[in-house]
This record gives sequence, C-alpha cells and structure tokens, in this order.
Amino acid sequence: MLAFVLLLVPAATGCVAAATPWRRWIGWLCTASLGFVLVTGVVLAVLVVHRPALSAFGGVLRVDALSAFMVIVIGAIGLLAVCQSVRYLEREVSSGRSSARRATLYSVLVQGFITAMLLAVVAGNVGVMWVAVEATTIITTFLVGYRRTRGALEASWKYVIICSVGIALAFLGTVLVYLAALHAGGVTHVSLQWTSLMSVAHHLDPGVMRLALALLVLGYGTKVGLAPMHSWLPDAHSQAPAPVSALMSGVLLTVAFYVLLRFKAVADGALGVGFSRMLFVTAGLLSLAVAASLLLSQRDYKRMLAYHSVEHMGLIALGAAAGTPLAIAAVLLHVLGHGLAKAVLFLASGEILIVEGTTEIDQVKALLARRPALGGVFAFGLVTLLGLPPFSLFISELNMLRAEVHVGLGWVAAISLVLMAVIFGSVMSHGRHMLFGARPDGEVAHKSPLNVSVPLIGGLVACGAIGVLAWPLDTLLRAAAMVVVK
Amino acid sequence: MNGLTHVLTQVLVALFQVAAVAVGGPLLLGLMRKVRSRLEGRAGAPIHQPLLDLRKLFAKQRMRPRDSSWVFGAGPVVLVATVVAVTAVSPLVSASPPLGQSSDFFAVVFVLLLGSVLLALSALDTGTAFGGMGSSRSMTIGALCEPALLVAILAMAIAARTSNLPALVRVGISHPAVIASPARILALASFLVVILAESGRLPVDNPSTHLELTMIHEAMVLEYSGADLGLIILGESMRLVFLLGLFVNLFVPWGVADRPGVLFVGLGLLALVAKVCAVGATIAVFEVFTAKLRLFRLPELLAGGFVLALLGALTAVVR
Amino acid sequence: MNGATYSSFLEIAAGLVILCAFVTLWRRSLRAIVRTLAVQGMALGVVAIVLGVHRRDVVLIVVGCLVVLAKGLAIPTLVRRVLANEPMSRETSPLVNVPSSLVGAGALTFLAYGATRPVVALVSTSAGRLIPLGVATLLIGFFSMVVRRKAVSQIVGLLLVDNGIALVAFLATAGVPLLVELGASLDVLLVVVVLRVLAVQLWSKFAVLDLDQLQELHD
Repeated sequence: MLAFVLLLVPAATGCVAAATPWRRWIGWLCTASLGFVLVTGVVLAVLVVHRPALSAFGGVLRVDALSAFMVIVIGAIGLLAVCQSVRYLEREVSSGRSSARRATLYSVLVQGFITAMLLAVVAGNVGVMWVAVEATTIITTFLVGYRRTRGALEASWKYVIICSVGIALAFLGTVLVYLAALHAGGVTHVSLQWTSLMSVAHHLDPGVMRLALALLVLGYGTKVGLAPMHSWLPDAHSQAPAPVSALMSGVLLTVAFYVLLRFKAVADGALGVGFSRMLFVTAGLLSLAVAASLLLSQRDYKRMLAYHSVEHMGLIALGAAAGTPLAIAAVLLHVLGHGLAKAVLFLASGEILIVEGTTEIDQVKALLARRPALGGVFAFGLVTLLGLPPFSLFISELNMLRAEVHVGLGWVAAISLVLMAVIFGSVMSHGRHMLFGARPDGEVAHKSPLNVSVPLIGGLVACGAIGVLAWPLDTLLRAAAMVVVK
Repeated sequence: MNGLTHVLTQVLVALFQVAAVAVGGPLLLGLMRKVRSRLEGRAGAPIHQPLLDLRKLFAKQRMRPRDSSWVFGAGPVVLVATVVAVTAVSPLVSASPPLGQSSDFFAVVFVLLLGSVLLALSALDTGTAFGGMGSSRSMTIGALCEPALLVAILAMAIAARTSNLPALVRVGISHPAVIASPARILALASFLVVILAESGRLPVDNPSTHLELTMIHEAMVLEYSGADLGLIILGESMRLVFLLGLFVNLFVPWGVADRPGVLFVGLGLLALVAKVCAVGATIAVFEVFTAKLRLFRLPELLAGGFVLALLGALTAVVR
Repeated sequence: MNGATYSSFLEIAAGLVILCAFVTLWRRSLRAIVRTLAVQGMALGVVAIVLGVHRRDVVLIVVGCLVVLAKGLAIPTLVRRVLANEPMSRETSPLVNVPSSLVGAGALTFLAYGATRPVVALVSTSAGRLIPLGVATLLIGFFSMVVRRKAVSQIVGLLLVDNGIALVAFLATAGVPLLVELGASLDVLLVVVVLRVLAVQLWSKFAVLDLDQLQELHD
C-alpha cells in the first residue's frame, strides 16, 4: 500500500507535467514529488528495519530493508538532481535552446524514470525488476539525446544499442534462473518471486546457475557500467544534460547493481560464494584498470567524472565479491555516498558548462579564484570522491578493503589500492589544473546564485554527515546487508 | 547357369541405365535450352538438337594443339568413363541397382572429381592462356564446393547411419519422415548449390556465353574439336543428369523401383525422367531470372552452401 | 498432435529461425535482410504456437500469435521505414567478409552447443534439444552487431539477439510468465521505435547512417 503510493506519486506528477506546458511551478512540483519519495523511503525504512518485509499485491511489490535503503538513495539523489533541473530547464527555455514542449518532455521523462527505478527496487518479482530496468533504458535514451547535437545523438545511439544487448542478456539469465527453479520443484505461479527463488536456492542445478549468473553479470553489468561493457558510460554521461548525468550516475547504475546483488544471493545459495566472487572480482578489477588507464589522458571534465563512476562501480563490485555482512553494508553506504557526491559534481560541472561554455579541462582555469562558491563545491566534491575523511566514502572504502582482506582477497585489496592511487593522482592533477591559478586582472570574483550553491553544498554536507554520524543509517545498513548475505 | 543369367541380367540393366542417361543427357540440355528460349520469347531449337549436334561433331575431324601431350586426349575420355562408371552403379532407376550394392556416396563423388581434375589438367596442357584461366577458376570453384558436398553427404549419412548410396535412397522410401528432417533438407539445399556450381550453370557460370573472359568451364574446352568435343559435351550432360537424378531420388524418392521386375524398372525410368525434367525445367526458369555472379562474389555463395551443409550435419549429430 | 509430428514441426520452425540468422550474414542487400528478419519472426511465433497446441495452453498460443504480429510484421515494417530514407541500401565492406563471417557463424553454433549442455541436460524434452539453436542465433546477432557498419545492420543484430533469447525462453520453459513475456515483446517493439526515431533524427539533421561517420566521441 505504502509502496504503491510511493510509485503512484511520481507517476501522477509525470501525468500532470504532461498535461500542461512547462512552467516553473511544474518544476517545483517535480521536486516536491522527489521529496515525498525521500520521506516515504525513510518511513519505510523505519517500518521494515525490525521486521522481515512488507508485501503488497500478493508479493508483486515487496519492501525489505534493502529496498527501503535503495528508496532513500533514489529519493536523496533524485531530489538533488530534480531541484537543479528546474534551473537547467529555465535557462534552456529562456535562452531559446529548447521549447516549452521539450521541457515538458524532459519533466515527464524524468518522473517516468524515477517511477521505473522505484518499481525496480520495490518489486518482489525478478521479472518485474527486469521490465523496470528495461523501461529505464528506453526512457533515458531520450534524456541522453535531449540536446539533439550530433554528439548527443551518437551517445544515445551507442547507449541504447549497448544497453539493449545487455538487457537482453539479462533476460536470458533470468529465463535460465526460472528454468532452474522450475526443475527444482518450484510452483509455477510464484517461481519468479525472489523469496521463492531464495527458498529453493539449494536445489537449483549448478551448471545452469553458473551460466545464468555469468549472463546476468554480463547483462546487468552493462547497465552498471562494469568493464568491458562500460563503453556507453563516458559518452552518455558527458553528452546528457547535467541533472540527467547526476541521476544516471547516482541512481541508474546503483539500481542495476541492486538487482545484481539480489541474483547473487540466489546464486550463492546454489553455487557457494566462490563462483560469484570470481566473476565480481574480475569485473571489478577490470573496471578499476580501465578507469585508471583512461583517466590520465582525459581532456573533458564530464568524461573524467564518468570514468570515475566506472571506478567506483568497480570498487562496489569488489566489495560485493567479499560478500560478508560488513562488506555489503559498506557497499551500500558507498552507494549512497558516491551517489550524492557524484550528483553534486555533475551538477556543479553543469553549472561550470553554463558559465564557462566549454567542457574542456584546458579551457577552464582558476575556478577557485574566479567563482569561489562553485569552485569550492567542485573542489570539495573531488575530495569527497577521492575518499578523504571525514566524508562517508572514506569509511565505506576502508570497510570494503577490510572485508576483502578478511575473506582472503587481500591481493585484490592491494591491487585496488594501487589503482586507486593512480586514479587519485590523475584526478588531482586535472582538478588542480581547473581550480588553481591566479585570477586574471580586471575580473571580479563572481558569486553563484543561491539556488545553485545551496543544494550543492547541502549535498556535500549530507555526505559528510553520513560519514561522521553513521548512527541513523547503521541499523538500516546492517539489516539490508543481512537480507542478501546468509 | 542361374549364376550366369543373373550376372547377365545385372549387366544388361546397368547398361540400360547408362544408355538411358547417355541419351537423356543431351535431351535434358535441349529441354533446358527450349524452356529458356520460350521464356525469352523465341521459338528455340528442337529438343533433340544437342543429339544432332553430337552426331555432327563425331563425324568431324579432331584437332590437337601442336605442343599438347597425351593428357589432352585423355581428358574427354576419362570424363565420360567416370560418368559411365558411376551411372552404372547408382540407384537412379532402381533402388537396388544390380551392380551397385556397395556403391558409396563418397566414392561416387571422388570418381566424378577425377573426371573434373583431368579435364582441368588437359586444359592446362593446351598451353593457352584461356585454358589456364579456365582451369584455375574451375579448380577454385571445386575447392570451395567439395567440402560442402562432403559435409552434405556426411549430414545425410549420419542421419541414416550409412553412406551406402542405395541404402540412403531406400531409407527415404521406407521412412518418409526422414526426408522432412532438417538435416536432410539442409543437406539437399547445399547439394543443389553444389550441383549448380559443378555443372557450370547460372549463377556460377553462363553456359551460353561467348565472352572468353567471363568463361569458367567453356574456357577449358576452347581447344577441343570433333569427337573430343562431342565426348566432352556428352560427358557434361550425363554428369548433370546423373547429379540431378541423385538429387531427386534422395529428395523425392517415390517412383524408384524397389522391387525387381521389368514393370517396376520401367516405372522407375518414367519417374526418373519426369522428375529430372521437372527439376531441369525449374533450373532453366531460374536461370532466366538470374544474372551471373561476379567471380569475387562466388566464394560467398559457396560458403553459404558450405554453412548449410554444416548446419545439416550439426542437426543430424545432435538428434 | 502426436509426438512425431510435433517434433518435426518444432524442428523445422526452430531450424528456420537459425537459418534466417545465417541468411542475414549472407545477404548484402539491407532490404533482403529485413525480409529475412520478418520470416524469422514468424517462425518464432510458429514455435510458440506449436508448443501451445502440444500442451493445450491457450495463453501460449495467444502469445505466439502476438509474436508473429509484432516480430513478423510490425518490427520489420518499422525497420523498412528507416531504410526508406537511405539511398545506399547495401551493406558494403563489413569488417569481416561474408565467407569468413559465415564460417565464424558456424563456429559460434558449435560454441552454443557446447556452452548450453547443462541446460539441455536439465530440460530433457524434445524441445530442450533445440535450445542451443536459440543461443546460436543470439551469438550470431552479437557477431553481426560487431562486424557490420550500417546503422540498420546494428538494429538487425539487436533483433537477432532478441529473437534468439525469445526462442530459448519458449523452448526451455514454454514461456516465462505472461507478464514478463509481454514485457519482453513490448520492449523489443519500443527499442525499435526508439532506434527508428534516433536514426531519423541522425539522418535528417546530419545525413548520417553509416556508423563509421559517428566517430566524434572517443578517447
């Protein structure tokens, strides 16, 4: 019931946005719907933290601790992104680059995207999860190509082709899991329910499950952005409008990973931890290596941020490979922290694009001196993402490394530390280039408008707050981790 | 006495089969040309024209190039000899050919190949540029066709668990479901592509072209005249009839005589004639509407044929 | 229908699916490739209908008819409309030439048979033996997407992947639950619509339908 209302609100907002030409109040209405999502997420979390789960519609919708946490993630990052979309759309419409109709399309698509993401996390049926993730692929294609430049169209073409193949492979994996469940004595009607899959996990045929898990990692891994299926990520994230990049990087990638975690739990029941560990370690290390090798030579700061997302998804995969409750809790914390920080960075970079007019790193200089608030936000955002204390990413990365060493993946932790150091160096050098320098004479330090700086600073503060005061989330994280680790 | 009569009857039936194919070959050529002419709006030569041409050729003088060796003369003879040999032992008219109880499909293919190879060698022997060109093109096509043919036979053989040619035909008669099996359909589709390629029909080679640079098979026989040319034309037409006869007997085996007796053999002959004419006419119609493929595109067509056969073999194995 | 007829029909339909996959690698004319895709979609629908008749499952028969309509008629028509804009409707010089890609496709079929042995062993019915054909179609679609240059060829490859997966779904489990199957079919339709919109935009604004020209974004 509550979950259904949760889905209904963004959907209804989308319908309202579709009905009238775009005005500012529609933008604020969309923001309010995201705020509602966040609040509902918190309420759900409180409700399910000491209870197994809430179900609705005979199990089609099911909210447990993990789902509630993901709702909070979607709500928080979505709120940030949609809040900034208002300003983005206003500028686009007033400068004549888009018509009011396209702004309406944007709002409707974003609300649809949020609905689909929420459906994916509150669904109890892995088939419905698949349908929701597929829906997001289609919706985001148009969002990525919003600007209709040649680069944007090329990026959206690549995105839809690669992600459709990935989703198709994920469907095949789901079919194979269903097949294994059918032959394990499952009842047809509820066989695609995650809970029933978990209950028959020990009887699933290992050969089929191995094939299924490999396909699922390949398929959903494409949407997560794990190498070697990551090639759509830099293009899509750099060509999309900044709020869309924030949403995709923070929400889309992590919801796909959430689905992968659910399947990992089923596969671990059937195969033991070894096989999934091997798959996730391979994907994670490969992603880190790709990110490390390509970050140094980046010339576009949006692509740099996109490759950075690839790196973090690799880290998350390595954390999930470890598989202990501590590791999963750290992974989830990382998801929230990274999502917030990356959203702030993408939104700041969108602002930089508006004021500087270029996405080349070389062309942007002395941000701290010329636009202190914006530069400061960007600097702190980079610092957050690089995992420096007291921001939450430090704690989550530390815990993930500890968990990896604990389960015998110490060599993995060592390699990932080395690669993270390389990435640290590259990003710092790019950041230094953009941020430091003297202000050219005759130019006065600009003040960024409040409606830009306040949400961004708010996001960073939230990130820091989570790092320092883990206690509100601690119980929730622990409960969520226990859902997928037995 | 019984043994001798038995052997004599067998030999007679075999000779009868060879004679039928020898006469039917040129007639089939004539029929195909007639169908083509009619479709192109011409009256066309009568169907027995190739027979008249052969009679004319056998009466003419043979010529051979000054620097050619015995290979030049051997080519046509071996060609006809190989075709006669396989025709005598194959299940064309009857499903249990008298002399051919142990005739193996692979062996038949290799004997025919002997004829093609010797023809190519004799074209090289002429020492002319066109002969060499024709030989090399013909051997290229052969090199691409033979694997397809062998894998197609393999597909049919795996499904029927034997590569004995009469047994393959008999399996088709006794178990009609085998004919509809994917393995056999794919193998026969590949076989048809190979037949078109080996006998030099469109879209691989235009048999009625007069432009030397576009010739494949015709270029090999440019230097032949008189009885040699007659033998070559006879050999090629017999080969076409033979291959088409095998094709129809494997694909549509009804009418083939599976019991001894003059009536059944007669019926078998009629069925064979009808089916081969039908397929020949279809090929002629197809030729009217097709253009010759560029030489560089030929490997694509033949690779397609190979893959069809491969799929057939795969389907046969996993059944 | 009795067992032998059912097996033959199923084999012929599934065989037609994979044969069409090979033919899309073989032909160069894009219009012929789209026609082949239509035939493949209809064969896929026939597989579902045959399975439904054999199990007396009305839902499956309905799904089969929907698949015939969607994959056999609607989607090829949409793709053909994309082609209508383009003057050059031949796939020239793919990255791997036709004979090699045909032989490669044969190798992929063998690979499919090897990789799906646990699945075939689990589903020990006559339909289960044909599952590797679906996986082979998927692999051929993948291969085709990688080696072809035209935008329409990539759409064709994507559709081959989807058709292969649908074939596996039908044969292995006689269809996943209706909701998901409908979602999957609808999704393919929507993806093709999206791709058509993108292709039209690309063509009308930038006169681009050769993927080699989309080279702006790279590292």
